[in-house]
Amino acid sequence: MNILKNKPIQYILLGLIIAITPFIFNFQRGTLTMFNTVIIYSIVAIGFNILLGYAGQISLGHAAFMGLGAYISGYLTNMGIPFILSILIAGVIPMIIGLILGLVALRLEGHYLAIATLGFGVTIQQIFKEWTSFTNGYSGMRGQPASIFGFSFRSRESFFVLAIVILVLLSIFAYNLLKSKTGRALIAMRDSEHAAQAMGISLLKYKLIAFSISAFYAGIAGSLYIHLIRFIEPNQWGVELSLNLLAMVVIGGLASIEGSIIGAFFLTVIPDILKEIPMLGEIRNLSTILTGVSLILVIMFLPLGIARINIQIKEKLNNKNTKKTALNQ
Amino acid sequence: MSILKVKDLSISFGGLKAVDKLSFEVKENSIYGLIGPNGAGKTTVFNCISRFYTPDEGKINFHPRDNKEYNLLDLKVYEVISKGLVRTFQNVELVKHLSILDNLLIGMHTTTKGGIISQGLKLLNVRKEEKRIRKKAMEVIEFLGLKGLENQLAGSQPYGIQKLVELGRTLVSEPKLIILDEPAAGMNSNETETLSKLIKRIRDEFNITILLVEHDMGLVMNICEEICVINFGKKIAQGTPSEIQNNPAVQEAYLGKGEVSC
Repeated sequence: MNILKNKPIQYILLGLIIAITPFIFNFQRGTLTMFNTVIIYSIVAIGFNILLGYAGQISLGHAAFMGLGAYISGYLTNMGIPFILSILIAGVIPMIIGLILGLVALRLEGHYLAIATLGFGVTIQQIFKEWTSFTNGYSGMRGQPASIFGFSFRSRESFFVLAIVILVLLSIFAYNLLKSKTGRALIAMRDSEHAAQAMGISLLKYKLIAFSISAFYAGIAGSLYIHLIRFIEPNQWGVELSLNLLAMVVIGGLASIEGSIIGAFFLTVIPDILKEIPMLGEIRNLSTILTGVSLILVIMFLPLGIARINIQIKEKLNNKNTKKTALNQ
Repeated sequence: MSILKVKDLSISFGGLKAVDKLSFEVKENSIYGLIGPNGAGKTTVFNCISRFYTPDEGKINFHPRDNKEYNLLDLKVYEVISKGLVRTFQNVELVKHLSILDNLLIGMHTTTKGGIISQGLKLLNVRKEEKRIRKKAMEVIEFLGLKGLENQLAGSQPYGIQKLVELGRTLVSEPKLIILDEPAAGMNSNETETLSKLIKRIRDEFNITILLVEHDMGLVMNICEEICVINFGKKIAQGTPSEIQNNPAVQEAYLGKGEVSC
């Protein structure tokens, strides 16, 4: 049973189980679209968590990378370039642009970095609106279904399998990376920049790594998005999505791969369920309200996120017990 | 043979001259103490040597081996460790959310091989490398007497243990010179006693030169072979512990005019 304790093997097994559920149960097409978007947002959230949770760097412009990945992949496949190549390029170009943000992060910290990345996100979104020959502007861009070696992932069920395979691969990559030299260097940089530098960790190098990896993940997710929904327009890639990504990572659990996925699930599925409840469903912008409220509640009561809920409850109970005994004495 | 030569080092912050034309040399395999009253500029000197600060004037040369010489001022702060010079901090700078073992692994950052892709795919060379550095870190953990604690979070340990972990983190990088910024700060006399034995063992068993800044006179007089006393950024005396103890300028700087208590 030791093999089951191996995280990558857990990821593969869980991925397998989840990937076959749509073939067993009969979900509606809308529900399956939602599950597919959960997987896509999980990929962005893992990348964003590497940046925020592990490296301790903030970005409020990450929606731009996802949008960029979507536009690049959509544009390339429309030109007839194979999906596999397109999705790779859709990851690599945001990765290179991510390096620029890494350079910014070397000069700015905390609030200032947040503002600079916010400006970056808004600028890219504006470019999506204006560069109509590439993005088709407000009319939006249509996408093709993903296809690999002639097999077209047209049905929601088959796309779900594709998305999960990519999520599992990227989760394992992230897990391995974070458990080795790079991961330790990122965490050292987050906890103590002085110690990191004295131990030979170049802040420049690791800030660039953190930003470019997270941009890569966002680009891959963007590519999957356009081949799932097959339509995108510039307003999707704004501040709201960037803030949602932040909320996913904080609510799910900072510095936790599982937390990223839980956060993506929470912020995508719960608003949809609430919409079905008669009275609540009529409130406009319900999902935004939910995001805000849950963000506040999580920060107040579960600062380590939903993924570590058991540890936090245990700690709370222990504290209560020690307080009681202290009072009795 | 001197392993570290500091010559005419000066640095000022605003109008305040923190270090003023300071020169000293540390002999290979010695334990060298840099002492002085509060605010004398000791930590500033350390920060210049470890390249956190860039001095306004002066030279700092480092000879880790015969025929190798580095001008430390040419190096960036993160390049210093790979040349064989490593430091600790006055207020313990550990990676609090990682285990003691992982903290030691960070000390081997520059010697750990493997690119990002091979780390992400956990290729064979990365696995081998992880095994190698873990084995070495465990040896140092055993040397420090911390066996059994290796998987505990560094941040949850008592201060004395955190200090040891920081010392261990410098040892794994196989340095030639360790600079210790107030290693005994916040320790009781028993712990200080153990620490001074440990520092001597590190010098004797690993052949590592030690340069330390310290307030605890007992420790300094006990283990240092040569001492440099600075006050207001200037050197006021240099010599063996007994010479320093009997030096009137030092007595005055430290104690005002009165009897020596150490």
